[in-house]
Amino acid sequence: MSAENVPPLIAAQLNYLLNHFPLPVKIEQMWSGSKNYPGILDRFTLVVPYCLDFLKWDLIYDAELPMCAPDIIFGAEDETFHQFVARGGVDGEGNSKSPKNCLSDWNNKDPMRLMVLVQQLRDLYMSYQRRRVGEVDDDRLKFEISTIVSREGIEMHMSSGVEKPEEVKFSVPLLDMNLNKMVPGCPWRHQQKIYLQVVYPVGKKYVSTPSPPRLKLLSTSELKTLFSIEEVKLPSWLDGMCMAEYLPHLEESLEKQVLEAVSLIDVRRRFIEASALPFGRPIEADPVFCRRATFLAASGVFTFLVHFFISTQFPKQQPTLMLQSSQHFNSQGAPIKSPHLNEYPWSPRWEPLQMAERIFEFLVDEALSFKRYCNEAHHQH
Amino acid sequence: MDDLTLQKIAISGPTLASIIQRFSFSHGAVDGLLFGHVTHIAPSNLSDDHASSSSLSDSSSPIATITGFLCSGTTHSFYDSAGQIDPLTLRRLLGDLDQQHSLIGWFSGRRKTHIRPSFREFSVTSSLSSNTHLSFPVKNALGNTNLNPCVFLLLASPLQDQTIHTHEYRAYQFRTSTGSFEPKSIDIVNIGPAFRGHYGSFSPNSPFPILPCELRTSPMSEDQNDDTLGGMKLFSKDQRELDMCAEGFEVGRLSRLMGSEAVNYTAVLEDLYSKMLNKVESLARLAEKSSARVLEQENHNRKLRYKVARSAALE
Repeated sequence: MSAENVPPLIAAQLNYLLNHFPLPVKIEQMWSGSKNYPGILDRFTLVVPYCLDFLKWDLIYDAELPMCAPDIIFGAEDETFHQFVARGGVDGEGNSKSPKNCLSDWNNKDPMRLMVLVQQLRDLYMSYQRRRVGEVDDDRLKFEISTIVSREGIEMHMSSGVEKPEEVKFSVPLLDMNLNKMVPGCPWRHQQKIYLQVVYPVGKKYVSTPSPPRLKLLSTSELKTLFSIEEVKLPSWLDGMCMAEYLPHLEESLEKQVLEAVSLIDVRRRFIEASALPFGRPIEADPVFCRRATFLAASGVFTFLVHFFISTQFPKQQPTLMLQSSQHFNSQGAPIKSPHLNEYPWSPRWEPLQMAERIFEFLVDEALSFKRYCNEAHHQH
Repeated sequence: MDDLTLQKIAISGPTLASIIQRFSFSHGAVDGLLFGHVTHIAPSNLSDDHASSSSLSDSSSPIATITGFLCSGTTHSFYDSAGQIDPLTLRRLLGDLDQQHSLIGWFSGRRKTHIRPSFREFSVTSSLSSNTHLSFPVKNALGNTNLNPCVFLLLASPLQDQTIHTHEYRAYQFRTSTGSFEPKSIDIVNIGPAFRGHYGSFSPNSPFPILPCELRTSPMSEDQNDDTLGGMKLFSKDQRELDMCAEGFEVGRLSRLMGSEAVNYTAVLEDLYSKMLNKVESLARLAEKSSARVLEQENHNRKLRYKVARSAALE
């Protein structure tokens, strides 16, 4: 958070929250509620991830009283959450850790307080939703909950609206492995995870066979550089199946695919290393995931850069190439670049060195037409 | 006791306007106490038609009427950051106000926020309405019914500045039985020919003092009365009470407003009214002067607070 106009005491609390919260929280909007200091920001919409969706909570400070604890306005659909918080959770659990205690001995000089408060409220929200889901009168749901509730990190959400049909959403974290630790030199700040989203329509009593749940595989955003979740085919959900039956198969196949994705990092690395033989040392390369590399090349006096974009499907999918002239610039002063090149001879069965050499050969011809392209574009200006 | 549901919340136009005015002129967020009464009102539209049973059950529930308020000019005036009531500060704030008026709830005003009760507002209301020391009797109730302060009036202004729509308000009743807010409609009671229907449901809250004025037949008895010591004491006590609502009107003149002579004394009555108006005006002037002093002090406090916050952040 870089806004200059946040009172220093409040800014310290917000920065601590954004940098230290175990999940990626964001501030979506900030504005001023002050009459005397209309430029001083003291209202913030906090976006907290929950159950593969977001909770939007308004944090209300007062620019007039920056030493005071903030107040919170929860989402419009969570009216009964207040009541749940007031009763101290399910069974008055852990009174010393209640948000009320946190607020009543607020210390504006302790930047950690806000994060602790948000964490406590999110934990309470989780048990609040779990209780709401538990109250739904649906036999299948009751069974599902009883069989999978012991899984760690499972989150549920009951959505009901005037126009929307009642649904219960589960977010099931998959694979009990630390994905961050599987990548050497991993730059990810937040724990990466793959989730299965399961949405159950709440059954009408008179329907004999309940409709299957809607399934979707999701992952934390940074994981996409390693593993593309869209490529995973979900096993089909058979009639009368339950989650406890479904999940082991899915996890087994997913684990294989993740391990393969990790091993593919080395395949890409070997390819980049092999490319150094025909092209010379890369000017720039992505050392962790090996998804990008840039080499300097020359055709006669024409020098240009070759960018390699390597997908997670490499070597099945060939790298996308892009050429960039070091001598020709467009009217805005930006170097002229070629379109993406994907059409060139390729076989995933070649040795890395052969792959690099075949690309090099392809570029010998391609460089001439790129030079022509640059000259034409250059002359137009 | 908890399940007494309010039909609606009534407030007179000037009272609501003056709450909004306090909110809109304050530097930051404000809170305050709401006074008034909760009254069962006999339905005025009685009909022989028994089919409309729903309206019957509706009109049998009492109406909360807000007749006055006390704005603290700031927040946290009787509760802590977690919304827990502090009985001592609440008592200090109330003074002897609740001997004349019942504390029926509180209000909160905050700029540029969504018009939904916040975490703290929920706690304050819940804590206030579970406080049995503050319970007050419901007027005209069948039997002896008491109610805790359960009314919450929320004022806010829209997130984006708007030219016409500048303030929003909503009223709630807090139900201790369910532990939740119930939105209530607000009935704004105004004076004027168009609002005649409101008169029936509105009762004054600053009644004229009850003074024992005998019908005096002869001027002789008047002299007798004034001569005795007890009579003198009674006279000065009555005069003090009358001074509370009229400026410079002698108690003795009241007796002339009764009996057969009264027709001749419309001038005296008019004089009483004009002196009552004078009293109101001089009170208003006093309030204005002290408001100016308060504003001055508030501005000073604000500057100090700002300094402290800055220096605390630098530490």
